[in-house]
Amino acid sequence: MNPLDNELKSAFRRVEPPPDFAKRVLSCIQATEQKPGWRQALVSRLASRFKLARSRRLRWVTACALACLIAVAAVQYRRYERRKVEGEMARAQVMLALRIASDKLNVALKSVERVDRGQPPERARRKSSRRMEHL
Amino acid sequence: MTGHHAEDVLARSARGDAAAFEQIVREHQGMVFSLAYHFCGDPSAAEELAQDVFFQLYRNLRAIKSPAHLTFWLRKVTAHRSIDRARRRRHDLLLGPPLSLEDVPEPMAPMPLPEVALAGKVRRLVQALPAKRRMVVVLRYQEELELHEIAEIMEMPINTVKSCLERSLAILRAKLTRCFGDVHA
Repeated sequence: MNPLDNELKSAFRRVEPPPDFAKRVLSCIQATEQKPGWRQALVSRLASRFKLARSRRLRWVTACALACLIAVAAVQYRRYERRKVEGEMARAQVMLALRIASDKLNVALKSVERVDRGQPPERARRKSSRRMEHL
Repeated sequence: MTGHHAEDVLARSARGDAAAFEQIVREHQGMVFSLAYHFCGDPSAAEELAQDVFFQLYRNLRAIKSPAHLTFWLRKVTAHRSIDRARRRRHDLLLGPPLSLEDVPEPMAPMPLPEVALAGKVRRLVQALPAKRRMVVVLRYQEELELHEIAEIMEMPINTVKSCLERSLAILRAKLTRCFGDVHA
């Protein structure tokens, strides 16, 4: 063994920590073992999240996540708009169909009323009038 | 502490026995504190680091398989935490380029110094080494570990450990020779 080895060994002899070190370690562990209340836990969690958010990598991750969120929201909004237009068109078609059906029903009702009064229905009356015109 | 007794203490502390855990802390506190202290050179920082290591041990007690594994685990966690702390601190303080051995002031002429001052000088010179090399030197001379043990703790190839140590010792030898002449080199 050379003199430098001896010097290094004597320089790096083990050193004892302060006498109450073990007690302090245990009290520190006991303090963290005691569960905090939900408010305290929430506050500490938020604080730790905030601290984490300060790290550069997490900032990038947050920015990427935010960009993804905005893209998804835009796509969803466009889909919603398209559905809204389709719904309007379908509504207009239904209204038109109802109007046509209502007209038809009116015609049918009028014919029934004429039959009840002993008159020929509108269509028969029109046919007979056309025949009379031919003659 | 005998082998059987140490295993018993470890098992009891894993079951949540605070007294057994305290016994483990008392037994290993010198090693953990010294590793941290010789690495960072600051007693309060070393104490904080040692506390963190024991706190981490408390949380991972179930993963410790034997007293030998416990010693290895403590050395490894202390080494890695110390290196991480040194890197973080350097980053935080924005010190710029790391302090090299050439930056450490030395006396103009060789002069005899008492033993305590010499040990202090040696420690200061080691402090100027880069983090990983410093830890290799501390593990080698404080814990008197073999190269393969250091390689396991540092998660480095054994040849890298060997070259790290040789390079560090060559620099230290040159520095000490310049300071104290050929007597100590």
